[in-house]
Amino acid sequence: MVIPWVGFPLAELIKRVEPTGNAKFVEFYTLNDPKQMPGLSSSVLAWPYVEGLRMDEANSPLTLLAFGLYGEVLPNQNGAPLRLVVPWKYGFKSNKSLVKIRFVEKQPVTSWNRSAPQEYGFFSNVNPNVDHPRWSQATERRIGEDGFIQRKRPTLMFNGYADQVAGLYAGMDLKRFY
Amino acid sequence: MRAWTSSASTEARAPARHGGVPRALPAIKAALFVLALLPLARLLGAGVFGWFGGLGANPIELITRSTGTWTLVCLCASLAVTPLRRATGLNWLVRLRRMIGLFAFFYAVLHLGTYVWFDQWFDLRAIVSDVIKRPFITVGFAAFVLMVPLAVTSTDAMVRRLGRRWGTVHKLVYLVAVAAVLHYWWHKSGKNDYSEVGWYAAAVVLMLGWRVFDRLRVRSQARSQAQARG
Repeated sequence: MVIPWVGFPLAELIKRVEPTGNAKFVEFYTLNDPKQMPGLSSSVLAWPYVEGLRMDEANSPLTLLAFGLYGEVLPNQNGAPLRLVVPWKYGFKSNKSLVKIRFVEKQPVTSWNRSAPQEYGFFSNVNPNVDHPRWSQATERRIGEDGFIQRKRPTLMFNGYADQVAGLYAGMDLKRFY
Repeated sequence: MRAWTSSASTEARAPARHGGVPRALPAIKAALFVLALLPLARLLGAGVFGWFGGLGANPIELITRSTGTWTLVCLCASLAVTPLRRATGLNWLVRLRRMIGLFAFFYAVLHLGTYVWFDQWFDLRAIVSDVIKRPFITVGFAAFVLMVPLAVTSTDAMVRRLGRRWGTVHKLVYLVAVAAVLHYWWHKSGKNDYSEVGWYAAAVVLMLGWRVFDRLRVRSQARSQAQARG
């Protein structure tokens, strides 16, 4: 699904808060309020939901803090009032309903990485060449554009943003750092 | 122990302990047939007419999961026939077993077919690599393959032709049930979400466990009778 988000680059916020040189990673926390979010009663993850980015990823102009979509204010289900959007990574990297952003020295232990490290790595880049253990990621069906009675389309490297972000991972073995 | 037996089997001819076959059996069978088609009707209604809120954002996933679930439900139901028959004395229940088993196969065909057609679009290379590389698909595919001989030998003619061996062949259903649960279990393992698959695993363990227990009980009874005689 290709979504027109409304937001501003996270880099703008980072510039304003002036983190020290020790900040190597950014850690994002989602609201943990079982009263509003009944799904939190599930024991699938250790709540609150935590994600992280490397500093250079966070500073990419593609990394957004979004407060709207389709020209409207974010509905609750899409992560109101403010969420992260990292378009070249799988959806679970983009925390909804942010309540805390920390600058840290060590690579954050993200929720999915902690729950199933063999399946979910820290980077989670869209990468058709690296299979998820339980499925191939080489093809996709774009919701709203592709009918489901048709062949799936090939997935693009970095979700089509290779020109903008491939440089961040130069020299890295993306099979190991998935 | 016979799995999906037919109306021509010996059990049907043997005198029932409690009153034999009910008059309403044809009606019960017809009702069961309609009941077992409801999951398919729901998917068709949702897909074609948008009933029940439609098929959602990811129709292929919903169809795959629904048909997989109903395969497992039918498998569990077919395994429940014998313990239920023993507990209630309603021997005619066995007359329903072939239909339940064939519905399990029917939903398994839809489940695999959805994957092969809509998910993989007949991309044989991708399918073969999936079956080889991913244990949850390997074991699911194995479960399907093992169901084929059961479906093929479900006709009256095959039951007669195989005679005693029919029961032996149909013991495969135990393997099918274990493989099917494992398929679902491993599928859920990535998110450590066993809330639903746990029930199916418990049901299969319970019903296979009952058979082991029953077998041991019969054996020890036979032994004590032999001792009494000797």
